[in-house]
Amino acid sequence: MGHDAEVDLDYQRLLKAARRLDLPASAPRVRLALLADCAVQQLAQLLTGLLGRAGVRAEIYEGAFDAIELESCAAGSELYRFAPDAVIVLNSAQALRAAHSGSEPRFAAQRLQRILAVWEAIEAHSQAIILQSTFAVPPDSLYGNYDLGVPTSLHATVLELNAAIAAAARERARVRLHDVESVASWVGRRQFFDERDWDLWKAPCALEHLPRLARNMADVVLALRGRVVKCVVTDLDNTLWGGVIGDDGLEGIALSAHGGGAGESFRRLQRFLKQLNQRGILLAVCSKNDEATALAPFLQHPDMVLRREDIAVFIANWEDKARGLRRIQAALNIGLDSIVFLDDNPFERNLVRELLPEVIVPELPEDPANIVTLLSELNLFETAYMSDEDRQRAVLYQREALRREAAAGCASVQEYLRSLDMQARLARFDGFHLPRIAQLMQRSNQFNLCSRRLSEAQCAALSEDPACLPLYVSLSDRFGDHGLISVVVLERSAETLLIRDWLMSCRVLGRGVEQLLMNHVVARAAELGAARVIGEYVPTPKNAMVRHFFAQFGFTCSAPGANQWVLEVAAYRPAETFIRVVDSSVTLSEREVF
Amino acid sequence: MTSSNSFAERLTRIFREVFDNDAIIVRPDMTSADIEGWDSLSHINLLYAIEKEFGIVFTIGEAGGALRNVGELCALIEKKTAARR
Repeated sequence: MGHDAEVDLDYQRLLKAARRLDLPASAPRVRLALLADCAVQQLAQLLTGLLGRAGVRAEIYEGAFDAIELESCAAGSELYRFAPDAVIVLNSAQALRAAHSGSEPRFAAQRLQRILAVWEAIEAHSQAIILQSTFAVPPDSLYGNYDLGVPTSLHATVLELNAAIAAAARERARVRLHDVESVASWVGRRQFFDERDWDLWKAPCALEHLPRLARNMADVVLALRGRVVKCVVTDLDNTLWGGVIGDDGLEGIALSAHGGGAGESFRRLQRFLKQLNQRGILLAVCSKNDEATALAPFLQHPDMVLRREDIAVFIANWEDKARGLRRIQAALNIGLDSIVFLDDNPFERNLVRELLPEVIVPELPEDPANIVTLLSELNLFETAYMSDEDRQRAVLYQREALRREAAAGCASVQEYLRSLDMQARLARFDGFHLPRIAQLMQRSNQFNLCSRRLSEAQCAALSEDPACLPLYVSLSDRFGDHGLISVVVLERSAETLLIRDWLMSCRVLGRGVEQLLMNHVVARAAELGAARVIGEYVPTPKNAMVRHFFAQFGFTCSAPGANQWVLEVAAYRPAETFIRVVDSSVTLSEREVF
Repeated sequence: MTSSNSFAERLTRIFREVFDNDAIIVRPDMTSADIEGWDSLSHINLLYAIEKEFGIVFTIGEAGGALRNVGELCALIEKKTAARR
């Protein structure tokens, strides 16, 4: 996919995209409710267009004008009958300004309380995620530079409210911010606010910038649904440093930490990538170079910010870059659509767009000084969750490389698996692990049989449901801890045990985790007196990997071509595994459940 | 060049884009009743597209005022573009 902010955010073009949605009937859907004290019709259309462009069909409920509190507080309201996946709450700065007198010292606190009350009502009456807006700082200034010296000034009030909203949202699992202020300050408040259109028809901002506002919302929604970038693949010459290492040599490339110039620009990009990496996004290199030449700066150049150990996969050869990207994708086991490819060369960018259209290929600016700004403008690295796993991901992948080396020294797969000394913990969902469980539910695409995208709140509800057995598995081995890597949700139904969800991180493919789990599931079924285990495989464009999952364990298909699979418990033969279960807390706690 | 960019043709292009209908040919006596989908919502989009195309900005009085037909809209655009020159 090409990315060009100007083209992508053209108002008319987006409206047209919304009118002519070209989505297959099987396209995933998302139900969004818009509650606002400003007009939202255009916003709803733009959201439809933007989400449609990402392959998602949006069904949008437009709340009545200025009825945020009214609609959210009534249990049986149309809002809740709509059953939204997310409620977007848009409190405009213009409406805040209209209510602001400047003489009420408790104004900000009171406004915050009203916003929190709306959140609490939505949390109580639905399972929806809440997307709360922040306030743009209006252009009005009563005191000039002294505005911030007056705690009740509009400017000071907005800053106080934004900080309080952000702090409150951090404490709540179901609230995410939709940062209107970041959009307004990006385009400049003089451009963002259109007072004529506010006065005429209560427009939240100038039409010119409404697509950017909508994109910010859509990006949060998509991130909540699991659309996240997992890896940045970067070219080297004239992308990560100035010049060509093969021609200019170590001393000749522009990368100086001193004396200013382009070296500073490339170092800023490297720092940005390094911080992304520390945040959990993997880095890979794909360069047309001899490997030793390409590696030299990473190993020897004093001003390189990125080092060899920051790069999960390093490909430097003379093959075409589509092939390199495929190799990176295979090595990391991630989807092509979770890869961003950076290359200064238009030929390479176009080749990748042509051959691997899923890969995100930003149109880089000519001037390296502007690359980081552009990447931020495209908002490629939106995320809805930060878990400990994210922070440790880079380390996890480094351990993975060690495991691959160990595997190379083993004569057979069995020998290798045994040598790993794997230990698993199977446990019922608990509050401590819910963020990671929800994240895995949202993000797992390939090894995911049903692809139900349950939110954190829905996962919490499952663990309260007496008919349900929601399990997670964490795995460790002698190289370290994989963390929580698999989720299985079982449901008792008469004489059968239903498999409602089964998903696993592709990081641990081929370790025998699913064999261990199936043994466990069937043993559970037997204990409960269930004669059959029934599972379903719901095909998606990405989960072909598990289409034979049930057949492999001896399940039979209910009808040729059908997706429902049945296993007679008595006929099951436990699969061989090399994983020790070290925690039996499941067996203890679940006794009460069934 | 000149023929493809005449005033009427620029306006027709905008109308076709905004109302998503390539059959539209604007005439001075046209009103919102003559064009399917010309409601208060699309009127906002129409004014925005005109502002962008002609590099003008309607005042709140102009944007909110009642225009009887396309002819009055044209007159307004011509007045604004002339004032800018």
